[in-house]
Amino acid sequence: MTDEVTPYRVDPTSEPEATAEIKALLAACDLSYEATVEVFVALKRGRRIVACAGLDKNIVKCAAISPELQGESLSLPLMTEIAHLAHERGHTHLFLYTKPDNVDRFRACGFYPVVEVPGVVTFMENTPIGVRGYCASLKILREPGAVIGAIVMNANPFTYGHRHLVEYAVANCDHLHLFVVAEDTSFFSYRDRYAMVKAGVADLPRLTLHPGSEYMVSRATFSSYFFKEKNAAADSFTAIDLLVFRNFIAPALGITRRFVGTEPFCKTTNKYNRDMMLWLRRPDSPFPPIEVVEIPRIAHGEIPISASEVRSLLAAERFGEIGRLVPPFTLAVLRDKHRPGRTPSQIPDPPTWVENALNKKGPETYEDS
Amino acid sequence: MKIVREALAGTLESSDLMVRIAPRAAGLEIVLQSEVIHQFGAQIEAVARETLEKLGVDAAQVIIEDKGALDCVIRARIQTVVRRAADAWTADWSALA
Repeated sequence: MTDEVTPYRVDPTSEPEATAEIKALLAACDLSYEATVEVFVALKRGRRIVACAGLDKNIVKCAAISPELQGESLSLPLMTEIAHLAHERGHTHLFLYTKPDNVDRFRACGFYPVVEVPGVVTFMENTPIGVRGYCASLKILREPGAVIGAIVMNANPFTYGHRHLVEYAVANCDHLHLFVVAEDTSFFSYRDRYAMVKAGVADLPRLTLHPGSEYMVSRATFSSYFFKEKNAAADSFTAIDLLVFRNFIAPALGITRRFVGTEPFCKTTNKYNRDMMLWLRRPDSPFPPIEVVEIPRIAHGEIPISASEVRSLLAAERFGEIGRLVPPFTLAVLRDKHRPGRTPSQIPDPPTWVENALNKKGPETYEDS
Repeated sequence: MKIVREALAGTLESSDLMVRIAPRAAGLEIVLQSEVIHQFGAQIEAVARETLEKLGVDAAQVIIEDKGALDCVIRARIQTVVRRAADAWTADWSALA
């Protein structure tokens, strides 16, 4: 067939008919439609959509080609159009997940594999120098020592619980690399979270504070941390994030030990901690294993200190209680920026929350750390 | 010419190339991926570098995804991507031929 294909764009919020056709195409390819896609590129042959791909910010999702047309190189015009559309929308660095069997098809479109969860999913980016360039910039910050520690924290906001974890880690390694999650989808902005962590650990020796990156606990590597997603890949997201850490970040800095606090409330973070034990230590990897040290959260009274508790108290403007859970700088940030009328609906009211905590059934919080 | 923003030009179709350019503090960094890298890699990179130099671009990161493009296509795509990424177009077209 030599019929011309025409690329065009579909906005799923305003074009129900084209969106329905895309859904049917995805179903025919055994892929699920994802509501987080903001815009689709569709290739039409005649009046029929024969291929599609969607953008969820800088992540390419729902890429499919009609089964009877596979092998016709429709992926090249499709991914060309996606690249230009993403660029127009301000995203130059793109990521995608695909089945390992499809890696070569996306490689032909300028995507490069970063890590593979064997047999399940491969995580790719559209540059040959992405994760490697990032690691080259980390290597400059290597520190000597036999035990090099790492913590990745969201600190939303930074509490005495985070402080306790960092103190413990510094005492139990030769040098600690502390990363602040960079993704700006949490209640507190990245800028504020970074400032709170910086002030909160300023007095501690043998510690390097790093800005986060797209390669750790980001929308790209671990989207279920930020958004509740139901698809086959969601279960693998923790694995992708942890494999990037083990295969790239840890070797760049010589990290041998990762520290985490126990997570009694948030299911997603709790699963992440469990999966850490698996993916950072698995012996069937060419990369050295990383020891995982999980320490119990410190408690204030009966309830372990958590950032979500602080957010709940903040919603109720109970600053007296907050002051017992967070360092002075964090308290100052909370008072300064977040008092007037900011009570977002996603924060559960304190009474429900306390009840949930005591029953050990966590509220559905996806951004606690 | 100074590269002040990221830009993209070209396609992934056969006999074409897709070029990305981004600002860089100093020096040219050219990263080339090509289906014919073993036969023509050095030639493609030389054409890209020469085109950038003629345009007066001395600091940029350039990522090329080549699909077997001829030299004239490589030059055209690089001129376009620089035009999209530069602060002001100062090159003389007739000198680029």
